[in-house]
Amino acid sequence: MSALILISVLAVLVLYLGLFGNKSWLAPIGVLGLLGAIALFASGWHIDHHLMGGMVKFDRFSIGFNIAMVAITVLIFLFGPDYYARAKDNVAEQYALMLFSLVGGFLLSSYTNLLMLFLGIEVLSIPLYILAGAKKNSLRSNEASFKYFLLGSFSTAFLLMGIALLYGLTGSFELTVLGEHIANAGSSDMLLNFGLFFTVTGLAFKMGAVPFHFWKPDVYQGAPTLVTIFMATVVMMAATAGFFRLIDVTGMPGMLAQIMVLLVLATLLVGNVIALRQTNFKRLMAYSSIAHSGFLLLALLTDEGLVEGHGTAVGRTLLYYTFTYSLATTGLFILFTIAKRANNGAEHNDIFRGLFAAKPWLALCALAMLLSLAGIPLTAGFIAKYQVFLLAIGAGWLKVMGFGVLMALLGIYYYFMVVRELFVRPDQPVTFVVSPLNWLVVSVCAVAVLVLGVWPSLI
Amino acid sequence: MENVMTAIRVVPLEHYLILSFLLFSIGMVGALVRRNIIIVIMCLELMLNSVNLLLVAFSAYHSDPGGQVMVFFIMLVAAAEVTVGLSILVLMKRNTDGVDMNILNRLKW
Repeated sequence: MSALILISVLAVLVLYLGLFGNKSWLAPIGVLGLLGAIALFASGWHIDHHLMGGMVKFDRFSIGFNIAMVAITVLIFLFGPDYYARAKDNVAEQYALMLFSLVGGFLLSSYTNLLMLFLGIEVLSIPLYILAGAKKNSLRSNEASFKYFLLGSFSTAFLLMGIALLYGLTGSFELTVLGEHIANAGSSDMLLNFGLFFTVTGLAFKMGAVPFHFWKPDVYQGAPTLVTIFMATVVMMAATAGFFRLIDVTGMPGMLAQIMVLLVLATLLVGNVIALRQTNFKRLMAYSSIAHSGFLLLALLTDEGLVEGHGTAVGRTLLYYTFTYSLATTGLFILFTIAKRANNGAEHNDIFRGLFAAKPWLALCALAMLLSLAGIPLTAGFIAKYQVFLLAIGAGWLKVMGFGVLMALLGIYYYFMVVRELFVRPDQPVTFVVSPLNWLVVSVCAVAVLVLGVWPSLI
Repeated sequence: MENVMTAIRVVPLEHYLILSFLLFSIGMVGALVRRNIIIVIMCLELMLNSVNLLLVAFSAYHSDPGGQVMVFFIMLVAAAEVTVGLSILVLMKRNTDGVDMNILNRLKW
């Protein structure tokens, strides 16, 4: 509870500091507050907290996810001063909106009541609609913001319809009541099937699963890069955690298993195949994130609901997967910003050309992170995919898992398109300007990805 | 309060279900088909309000006030959401001078 309040107050404080027009204090204060939140979460590790009349429960799963989300936000805030160095105004608002959005993420990873699921999703999304349009004079940013708003509200309506139908079934918003109802009354009820269908649709929109992925490439490309990092990492983690909370109670009753299998297959196929022909790096990362959400859905598919002990393994895998994915994505987007500046604002994949010749260490970092996203052994991405496939075998989804392996192999190709650019000599020499803080953040991301890959038991 | 509950229960639950599904579908089709952005936002509101209707009906039939509390939360959040949406629209209007969907064509694969 105290961490929730701390982050909310911190956001208001940052907003207030912005009034004085001094940009240089915003990020350090934000980072300090976030570190405090990590400490507060860590101190509650051993006991489950119930808050707001039992609507929110901080257990180990949610605390793990919350700490991971805060840690990634710290990395993003450390990147902030450099990214906003040339921005004239509205910097404080953007930090504050990110913090507000983070609070929504906390609710989403720890709700036990469908009302909190709805509030969590909205508190997470509404600041993001504004953030995506943060470049007020850029038409592309406006368009990204508006597309995100339209499709986001559309998906919220679906989610609410699902929640209303589930409420009609049980007469309560509590997840435990829903779980007991499924255990006792079976899964043949129309209200249950339709309710779960609509709810899962709403959540799949947020994760960017196919066929609800159309917003993702456009929004990733149009939004400012810092906001894109936040969307690709923290929001992805929060949406995954929210999805898991629901699935961990309901399991896969009735039609839901078939729907989920279709979602997994479509997401893996479309995400990986369309990524093959992307030349814009931001769009490539968007399709890569769609592909990764396919693997996350595969892990979710194996959850059997209230069966004791199984949910923990799935939750741990999801945490490991999303956290390592977020680390690699954060580092790569920071390198992308550096390369974009060196190439006068171009966003094509070949802006990375000459990075190895100019900055060998950063190129090696980029290599480690790309290999991790592709899932090559000795990196964290490999262990993450391996764990997902183990879960899928354990639950008997052999064919789906085989398809997943195939798509993972296909994915290696487009990551290596970028890897090749790292080592190609450029036509004319390019100078990459790297601030020490950025260098540190990228190194931390790359080293963490390797360390977690060698010792996965650290999480 | 009890009077209202009984008044709601005069109509069978299925009718509420059908009506709100109809409203939801009208809103959904409208949001997908119409080209004027203001009308699209109205259609989104219609979808949310069909859910409100359903929640109130279920709440009366279960004699549980929780559903009606949820309706207030939905109205509040919908107001916040539409505020953000309209301000983004104003921003776009300033930059492009139009409220037609066809201006959303700069980001494509």
